[in-house]
Amino acid sequence: MRESSTPNAASEEPVVAVTNLSRRFGSKIALNDVTLAVARGGVFGLVGENGAGKSTLIKHLLGLWRAEAGSVKVFGLDPVLDPPAVLGRIGYLSEQPDLPGWMRIDELLRYTQAFYPRWDATYAEQLLGQFGLDAGARVSTLSKGQRARLGLIAAEAHRPDLLILDEPSSGLDPIVRRDILEAIIRTVTDEGRTVIFSSHLLDEVERVSDHLAMLHKGTLKLCAPLDEIKARHRRVSLRFEVPQQQPPEVAGAIRVDGAGREWTVISDARRSYAPAVAQHLGAVIIEDAEASLDEIFVAHSGN
Amino acid sequence: MTTLRLNPLLGTPLYLQLVEHLKHSIATGAIRAGEQLPSVRKMAEDLLINPNTVVRAYRDLESDGMVELRHGSGVFVRESVSSRTDLMKKAEPIIRSAVDRLESLDLEEDDIRRLMENELAQRRTARQTRKRRA
Repeated sequence: MRESSTPNAASEEPVVAVTNLSRRFGSKIALNDVTLAVARGGVFGLVGENGAGKSTLIKHLLGLWRAEAGSVKVFGLDPVLDPPAVLGRIGYLSEQPDLPGWMRIDELLRYTQAFYPRWDATYAEQLLGQFGLDAGARVSTLSKGQRARLGLIAAEAHRPDLLILDEPSSGLDPIVRRDILEAIIRTVTDEGRTVIFSSHLLDEVERVSDHLAMLHKGTLKLCAPLDEIKARHRRVSLRFEVPQQQPPEVAGAIRVDGAGREWTVISDARRSYAPAVAQHLGAVIIEDAEASLDEIFVAHSGN
Repeated sequence: MTTLRLNPLLGTPLYLQLVEHLKHSIATGAIRAGEQLPSVRKMAEDLLINPNTVVRAYRDLESDGMVELRHGSGVFVRESVSSRTDLMKKAEPIIRSAVDRLESLDLEEDDIRRLMENELAQRRTARQTRKRRA
C-alpha cells in the first residue's frame, strides 16, 4: 500500500502555488484572480472548455509568461527568474508537440537529453520499443499519434518530479490515449511524483485524478479533491402539482432546467437537502442522485 | 482480470465498481482463498485508474473481511473466505439428506417446496422483528 506517499498538504510545501494570478490579452480576461495549490504525489486534473484559461495557466507554470498580477511558484521557485532549476524537473507534453521535423528520432532524443541531467537513456529505449517507434525515422514522417508518443518519451524519460500534460489526448486514437493514461499512472505510482493533466475529456480526467480544478472564462470555479466534488453535487428531479411558470427557487442550486411540472436541479448538497426543498416547494422528488462530472461541469459553465 | 473495464460514466464510483468485480471474482472462485491480489501499481496501470482508487477498493474489501493486508508483502484473499462454488458444494449433501428424509415421510415435491418456503419466510420475519427491537 502507499501510505507513505499519501499527500500531506499540511506538512509539505505544494509543488505548485499560484496566488491571485490574473492575465489579460487585450480586452479579454484570460485568467481572473486564480489561486490554487497542487500537492505533491497525485494527479491534478484541470478541466474547462477551449479558451477557459487552462493553457494560459500552464504557460505561467513553465515560465513562458510572467505573472501580470499575483504570483506563481513551482517547487518554491519563480519559473520566470529561475528557468533551469524549474524546467529541469518538469516534463511537458502539449496538444501539438513542437518537434523539429528535419531531425531523426534518435537525434531528437539526444538533443533533448542534453537539457536533463537525470535523463534515463535505458528507459527512453524501452519506451521507444514499447511504442514501436523506429529510432532512425525522421520526425516529419511520423503520424500524429507517433508524434504524441515521441513527445511523451521526451517528457517522461528524465523521470520529472512534475509531469504537465496539456490536452495531450486531443484528436488521438484510443490506443495512443491509453499510452498517455499509462504514463500518468506510472508517474504517480513512482513515489512522490506529481502530474498536472489538462483535458476536456471528462471521463479520462475522472479516471486518473485525485484533485480537480475547473476553469471557466478565466475564473476558477472548482478546486477540491475529486471525491469531495462528486459527493458535494447532487441532481434532484422534482415534480409539481401544477405547472410552474418560473424555475423553482432552490437554496444551493447551481443550475435549474425544466419546464411545466418537471424540473431538474443541480445543487450543492452542503446547502440544500432534497426532502426539505421538496417539502418547502410542495413538490415530489422523482430522483435524488449524485451528479455526474459532466453535469457538474455544465452546471458551473452556466454564466 | 484483464477483461475488466471500469467505466467512469456508469454512475457507480470507480472504487465500488472494482470492489464489486473482485467480490464477484472471489464468489465464483475465479480468485481463490489465500490468493494474492495484484499490487496497487499493477492494478492501477492495468485498469488505467488512479492508484488511490485501488487502495480505497482494497481497504473496503479489508473492512468487509474479504482480504487482509500483509505489510510489505501485499493483499491476500482471506483463507476463511470460501467461494460461492465451494459453499454450494458443501450444501449439496446437507440438502440431499434432508430431502431424502422428507420423502421417507411420503411428502410430495410441492409439500417439500412449501415447507422450505415457509421456513425461510418465518426466519425472515424473525430477523426483521429482532432488527426493529434493536
